[in-house]
Amino acid sequence: MKILSAVTKLSVFVGIVLLLFLFAYAIFGDKVFEKPSPLVGTQAPDFRLNLFTGGQLKLSELKGKAVLLNFWASWCGPCRSEAPALEASWRKYRDKPVVFLGINVWDDKSNALRYIDSFGGGYLNGLDPKGEIAVEYGVAGVPETYFIDPSGKIVDKYTGQLTKETIDYFLERALSPSKQNELTKR
Amino acid sequence: MMGKLKMIKELQTFRSLFYLSALAITISMSLSLSSIADSIDEQVREISYLLMCPVCQGQTVEESNSQLANDMRAIIRKKLEVGESKEEIIAYFVDRYGETILGAPPAKGTNWVLWLLPAFALLAGGLGIGLFIYKSKSEKSDKFEKEPKEPLTHVNTEYIDKINKELKDFES
Repeated sequence: MKILSAVTKLSVFVGIVLLLFLFAYAIFGDKVFEKPSPLVGTQAPDFRLNLFTGGQLKLSELKGKAVLLNFWASWCGPCRSEAPALEASWRKYRDKPVVFLGINVWDDKSNALRYIDSFGGGYLNGLDPKGEIAVEYGVAGVPETYFIDPSGKIVDKYTGQLTKETIDYFLERALSPSKQNELTKR
Repeated sequence: MMGKLKMIKELQTFRSLFYLSALAITISMSLSLSSIADSIDEQVREISYLLMCPVCQGQTVEESNSQLANDMRAIIRKKLEVGESKEEIIAYFVDRYGETILGAPPAKGTNWVLWLLPAFALLAGGLGIGLFIYKSKSEKSDKFEKEPKEPLTHVNTEYIDKINKELKDFES
């Protein structure tokens, strides 16, 4: 009887220790910096985009300039809400080495064209009819925006509605390598 | 004249043989093409079941009817057609959407907790129940062994006296 209770105590003790170890490992184990996308910090996948204004654009042709890559759809409410901020920021950064590029996805072309007419968008916009570029960039919804630095590296990904301030913040980071380094320390 | 007739007959035989072999080739080619298509369909389904739809609640890419899931299935098919392996295709999606896209977490890093915890809970639960049963059984037998076996007469002499008295009364 005495041996049995000693075995019980030992197994309970071992069980608790194991459980604590598992939880400690889950919390502190191989904790890594959480990135908004696995693509952040990597070279932006190249693509060829059919522009609404006609012609094609290759992302790699924009090397040397920071790129704001905005995925949108005409049926998306937050896309409509962020449109004025995008338009205003595009005008603000017009003379700087920054390219604003809109990619219309999961949409109807005629609706997309009506949307561009209604909500401005003087910047470049193109159509991704098969969602291939969206999947290539790991897009799960709209609006989602990628910020690419002049070397072609993805610096940030922002999910949700942009404001002028968030655009400024991320574009400054894309344009300044020293500010990009702050990301990893954040 | 006979030689000419023979030649025509041979030509006819050759022609029918040619048609027959062409037909056989066409049938076998269409059969093999359909079996390739079937096998690609199957592989698309298999890979789609392993990936979670990023915009759905608990649905795999195979189960979902969302536009994104449709696009993902088309991309899987395209990649299979150019000869990419299942592992390469899964890695492609993980590289873009992260490990959360996987239906089952890979057994590495902190994910070990997810894999080990159910087995550990099952083991601990089984051990606990086993110990409880063993302990309650041994307690019962201990209790039975420890119980004093007193003679019947000592249990309740008053009651026995009463019975004896009633028996006597009955006999008399």
